[in-house]
Amino acid sequence: MKRILPFIIILVVLVAALGSAWYLTRTIPASPTLESQSSQSPSSQPPSSPGSPVAQQQKPPVVPGVPGADPPHVLGPADAPIKIEEFGDFECPPCGIFHPILEQMHTEFGDKLQITFREFPLVPTHQHALAAASAAEAAGLQGKFWEMHDLLYEHQNDWKKEFDVRPIFEGYAKQIGIDVERYKRDMNGDLVAQRIFADGKRGHSLGVKGTPTVFINGREVPFENLPAEKLRVVIQNELRSSSK
Amino acid sequence: MRKLYVVAALLALVGLADALYLTIEHVTGQSVRCTIISGCSAVLSSPYAVVAGIPLAAIGAAAYFTVFSLAILALFGYPRVATLLRAVVITMFAISVWLIYLQAFVIREFCQYCLLSAAITVALLVVVVISRGLRG
Repeated sequence: MKRILPFIIILVVLVAALGSAWYLTRTIPASPTLESQSSQSPSSQPPSSPGSPVAQQQKPPVVPGVPGADPPHVLGPADAPIKIEEFGDFECPPCGIFHPILEQMHTEFGDKLQITFREFPLVPTHQHALAAASAAEAAGLQGKFWEMHDLLYEHQNDWKKEFDVRPIFEGYAKQIGIDVERYKRDMNGDLVAQRIFADGKRGHSLGVKGTPTVFINGREVPFENLPAEKLRVVIQNELRSSSK
Repeated sequence: MRKLYVVAALLALVGLADALYLTIEHVTGQSVRCTIISGCSAVLSSPYAVVAGIPLAAIGAAAYFTVFSLAILALFGYPRVATLLRAVVITMFAISVWLIYLQAFVIREFCQYCLLSAAITVALLVVVVISRGLRG
């Protein structure tokens, strides 16, 4: 018995390890990478049935949360039936991948969408996230938030590994045609810090733990539904239910 | 002496749980999201996280299971297993040093679960060295 006992112990651990791995991989939904976005237009996308996985997952409760920065950065009409609120971090790679997806949705659905961006810099995980959020907010004080937002995401790989990002961001400020001296002052000013803090506070009140986190009409969209082809279905379903 | 093999087996179990968690994160794609507490998304989505199509975390899990098995066999007095255990742990330590280097200087992000794995490997190395010292 003593000779086979170690093998029994090893076998028990092996079975427990493989069993728990098998169980967890089945219970945790696989998240497709955001790169798997499709270029299909809404008209070519078959409508989802009410029983489809995407439709089933779109049922978390609406949590109002505390207000964020006021006024928020908003694209699209106030009476749009679909209100998308994104909590993003300019240094986060999946946010950079999600940026063109959201742009694509905006192009496809037009005035039916209203997009709000909220700052959620993941400090200290991302060393330049706060500086990038400050740059976007400082540009926003001169009415060019979205221009800076787009540049930061589109050139994420150009600045995220740099030691000092300030000159790069000042270059972006010049590029979008804002007063660079005022931008530099605002970057370190109270107003920018308060806006980022307010957005962060709103994110925490809504249970945001990572980025990108997206809410549609107050309901969080599961991360696995953020690739374009799934997000499109979520928006279509929401449009359908809002028109009833 | 026997206590040290028990310690080594327990450390290997913790390492196995950690590596399994990272493997599941990798396989299910949960790591692709950036989170408040972790730099694991950058590390696990880097090209260094896969070797010949196999997640590095899964290779780590296999290594910890090997260490656990060898420690149990050594505990029950199987001959020549201790030498093999030392060789495996020293190899794991060398790979851990390389992975820490990659996180610090190439990926420039740290994943706390990867750091835990490295810490367990260091602890295993210490235990293995002590066990050899006790044997003389």
